[in-house]
Amino acid sequence: MKSVSAKALLDWVDDLIRKRRVMGAQARDDRFTWGPLARAADLRLDYDVTLLPPKVFLQPPREKLLEFSRAGGYTSCVEAEPFVLLGVHPYDLAAIRQMDEVFSQDHADARYLKRREAATIVAVDVQAVSANTFAGHMGASHVETGYDILLTRIGDGYVAELATKKGEAIAGALASAADADAAAQEARREVWAQNAQRLKKHELKAAPADWPGLLRKGYEHSVWEEKAKLCFSCGSCTLTCPTCYCFDAREDVGWSLARGTRVRIWDSCMLADFAKVAGGHNFRKNKADRYRHRYYRKGQYIPEKIGGQIACVGCGRCITACVARIANPVEVFNRLAEAR
Amino acid sequence: MTSKPRVAIFDFACCEGCQLQLVNLEEELLDLIAVVQPVQWREAMTEHSEDYDIAIIEGSITRAQDEERLKEIRARAKVLIALGACAAMGGVNRLKNNFTMDDVRARVYGKDSAMPHLDTQPTKAVGEVVKVDFAVHGCPITKSEFTSIARCLALGKTPLIPNHPVCVECKMAGNVCRFEYSEICLGPVTRAGCGAKCPSGGFWCYGCRGFVDDPNVNAARDIMAHYGKTVADLRSRMLLYNSQQELANGPDTQY
Repeated sequence: MKSVSAKALLDWVDDLIRKRRVMGAQARDDRFTWGPLARAADLRLDYDVTLLPPKVFLQPPREKLLEFSRAGGYTSCVEAEPFVLLGVHPYDLAAIRQMDEVFSQDHADARYLKRREAATIVAVDVQAVSANTFAGHMGASHVETGYDILLTRIGDGYVAELATKKGEAIAGALASAADADAAAQEARREVWAQNAQRLKKHELKAAPADWPGLLRKGYEHSVWEEKAKLCFSCGSCTLTCPTCYCFDAREDVGWSLARGTRVRIWDSCMLADFAKVAGGHNFRKNKADRYRHRYYRKGQYIPEKIGGQIACVGCGRCITACVARIANPVEVFNRLAEAR
Repeated sequence: MTSKPRVAIFDFACCEGCQLQLVNLEEELLDLIAVVQPVQWREAMTEHSEDYDIAIIEGSITRAQDEERLKEIRARAKVLIALGACAAMGGVNRLKNNFTMDDVRARVYGKDSAMPHLDTQPTKAVGEVVKVDFAVHGCPITKSEFTSIARCLALGKTPLIPNHPVCVECKMAGNVCRFEYSEICLGPVTRAGCGAKCPSGGFWCYGCRGFVDDPNVNAARDIMAHYGKTVADLRSRMLLYNSQQELANGPDTQY
């Protein structure tokens, strides 16, 4: 583990930008977003939460899958240029690790996995707490694996843990920085302990481990109808979610009418036509059914696929994104935990 | 496909801005006419034929003689497409349905308002007069959506018209929700397909593409107080494009 000044860290970032494609957390108006980083001065390691999670680089909102000819034949397209993801918060990294498992299963998703391989992740411990986070309840306020480099703000500087060969490959001047002393290492543990408490802006009364059980007996709970009454079926909760990954595939034929492309774009189980199939039948026609489905994905269906991990990391983006204010998982699971 | 479909473009009550979007296709125009054969298009060509497969209708219907003309077009066309908000749902023109026709005539034509050739009737969308096969939404239309629909039809494929709210495209664009700034945005009830242009440019959604199939207008009403707004505020915003749903017109309980 290394200790660096804030200035030395920025110098390292500028050096990194000269050598690599770097995606960083930066300001957008009065919020934060991800994008190509032009210079270290634009990097905002003090952000609270980004509008969209870093999944935008691993599973882009819109992605060309292949080019085809109507006469027959196709060419697969994979965009997987190496890049550095700079400034990933622990809860988002927890989500990426879940997606790594999801996309490796069944028909492993070559595109996701290639981009994941092409990504070097520099995580950063949370400095500013966002208004709706409950990552502290979800065990995702800090992580101890999964990153290539982890940065933690300590006083006026940072400690940097170079955790993997990929991390060492981009370490540059960080590699020759002074080793972090015992006090700095202790200070990082203290940041983790504090963040576990600070990242609890909503009070969760139902432990995540209890969620699958609550859902098993809660299928007919009144909370689903009650909340769904206000649902716009707009998908904002899932589109901003770091653990939601559903997509649709579509074709567009060019003006030649002979050749075309197939793209995949983000989809959402909350949209009215998500479960509509050929012939017009809709398996989840009712808003309440779709609303309920989202929570079962978080607390039961995905956990069954990835060894019991709850597919919610407490980033709170859904809470912020929901105009109708019905998307807060804490409220729903607290309700399920109460007597009905 | 043995021969190119013959296309005729007609305008009714409108600003002709959607047709202008077609003219504005510019470098794609040659591609377009390689796929379809325009045979009547007042804004862009001199030639004129009444033999066509596809009729594209721009504008809303506001006069009895326009209804007759539209019915004749429908009878000749195999496929009829409503182009733009006016044709698809009445558009801004439909605001006049919130007043009596006498008031409307007097406001626009003053002392001449009683003259017979200035007669007008409540605005109708094309679909209220004849069967519409496809609608290209928006005020104005989105060029890329139109060209995509054109290619689908040339292939004999059903075009995909989104039935989800603008929020989907707005979130994918990484925008801050306008409600976070306590602005009323019609995105949550408005049909996507525009790429969330207005919110991406820092404005609320005006609802120019009309409602999704099952808009939760009740929810839109219920959330107003939280954002420091009233149902009347919501109604005034919805009137601009959504007068046709008659929801904005009715009592509050109708929301």
